[in-house]
Amino acid sequence: MKASYAKYSILPGTLIIFVAVWWAMAVAVNNSREMVGPLQTGRAFVSLFTDPPLTRLLAAGLQVTITSILLGFALAVVVGVPIGVLMGRYLIADLFCDPWVNIWYSIPAIAFVPLAMNWTGVSATSSVIIAFLITVFTVIINVYGGVKNISGSLVDCGAAYGASQTQILTKIIIPATLPSIMVSLRLGISRAIEGVIIAEMVFTVVGIGGLMDDAADNLQLALSGALIIVLAVISLALAELMKYITRRAVAWKESQAMIRE
Amino acid sequence: MKSSRAMSFSVRLGIFCASLGLFFVLWEVAALSAGNSLILVGPIPVLQALIGLLQNHLPHGILGIQGADAAILQTLATIVFGFVLACIVGIPVGLIMGRWKTAEVLIDPWISATYSIPVVILIPMLYFAIGADFYAEVFVTFLVTVFTIIVNTHHGVKYVSNALAEVGKSYGASESQFVTKIILPASMPDIISGMRIGMGRAILAAVLAEVLMSGNGLGGMMITFQDVLNTPYMMAVVFLIALMGIAVLQLPKILERRLFRWKETESFSREIRR
Repeated sequence: MKASYAKYSILPGTLIIFVAVWWAMAVAVNNSREMVGPLQTGRAFVSLFTDPPLTRLLAAGLQVTITSILLGFALAVVVGVPIGVLMGRYLIADLFCDPWVNIWYSIPAIAFVPLAMNWTGVSATSSVIIAFLITVFTVIINVYGGVKNISGSLVDCGAAYGASQTQILTKIIIPATLPSIMVSLRLGISRAIEGVIIAEMVFTVVGIGGLMDDAADNLQLALSGALIIVLAVISLALAELMKYITRRAVAWKESQAMIRE
Repeated sequence: MKSSRAMSFSVRLGIFCASLGLFFVLWEVAALSAGNSLILVGPIPVLQALIGLLQNHLPHGILGIQGADAAILQTLATIVFGFVLACIVGIPVGLIMGRWKTAEVLIDPWISATYSIPVVILIPMLYFAIGADFYAEVFVTFLVTVFTIIVNTHHGVKYVSNALAEVGKSYGASESQFVTKIILPASMPDIISGMRIGMGRAILAAVLAEVLMSGNGLGGMMITFQDVLNTPYMMAVVFLIALMGIAVLQLPKILERRLFRWKETESFSREIRR
């Protein structure tokens, strides 16, 4: 009880310290072309929602950025989960795909950016491709690990009672893998967010990331800072949303872990 | 059991070679069907470009980039400096957070908040605050890497097996003995795997910083070739960057499996049983 109270009071406290340090640094630098303080950034943030041209830009950017993140992520889940299950179930699929999955997983996201630029230009489609490429292998690896680690007795039990392959898959494998699938969703959404933001920063004309980079290039540092806050809020909100959904989906597993604790 | 494992290695190798061949065939087919050397080139021109790059032959008419060796060296230096700095800061912070409740309560909200927010969004601002030189890129690399290392060290130290801790306590170990003889060795696998993942993040950060900030190094080279639509050379640089990522993330994994077999015995035996 006391610990949770401390936890909730510590967050506003650290936020205040953060703003104070930021303010002090901005005052010390005292050059709006190098660093802007929290006050100017706050003003720019408000103007994002009150100044009609900026609001239109923000709305269009938000739409593009969030759509790219969710589309890339959804595609990665739709493709990655079945591949992960197949690799976990069938040795031949495992041997065939495992090296490639590990290799592609290790490639830094930025390496995909120029490739996607060549394929589909400087566009939201490219952001989706990049988000997909860096998310899908995370999903595959986690689902694969989950399927591999299902206790053998569960599968044996199903087989002993004469379950068909599809029954084993839908009644045993998928429910038992659900926690790993949820972990992969949680990790995947962060990677999708990061991929889209990296792509947009390099493209400079697409989405909030592009808007933010563009504002910095035009020396509108306050506006750029305000857009950074917008991006931070989007990423935090999407990550928290995914955490909430996954926690709900595997509530039975969590409660088990809690009892043990 | 033993023979089936030994056989499975040669089978594994064979299937990997088959999938390697299939990959190159698919790549060539995709390049042929794209039919446009600006969009996608086949493996052979990329290989030629890669050889040219490694022999420091750059295509004519491209100004403003370093030689390939200088670019590779600069990128490596950025990665190593940023990474080492992140370890020097991150491991002690993670250790303190894991050992000392007050520090955990104070630091953890920051860490978990910055962990969900991609730190890379700060790059355009940092460009103006600290410039676009080598040190700025090292700083970006440090910033992106350090949280990964803190989180993994913290996790490793916090979840040291209770049995080990109890033994230490009941035999009257002092705090320094406790940390150096029990906590550190027991959490070493987590620290090392945090360092491995952090190294992968360091590559991403260094290359991205080069693309967005200075335009030097491998990142700058990659984006320059992309700008002039020299696709074979661009893909050769992409290949080099990818290779760095693969080397850093996959090779230590093999080492880890060797060194920390004791930690993996549980999952290992489970794997054999399946």
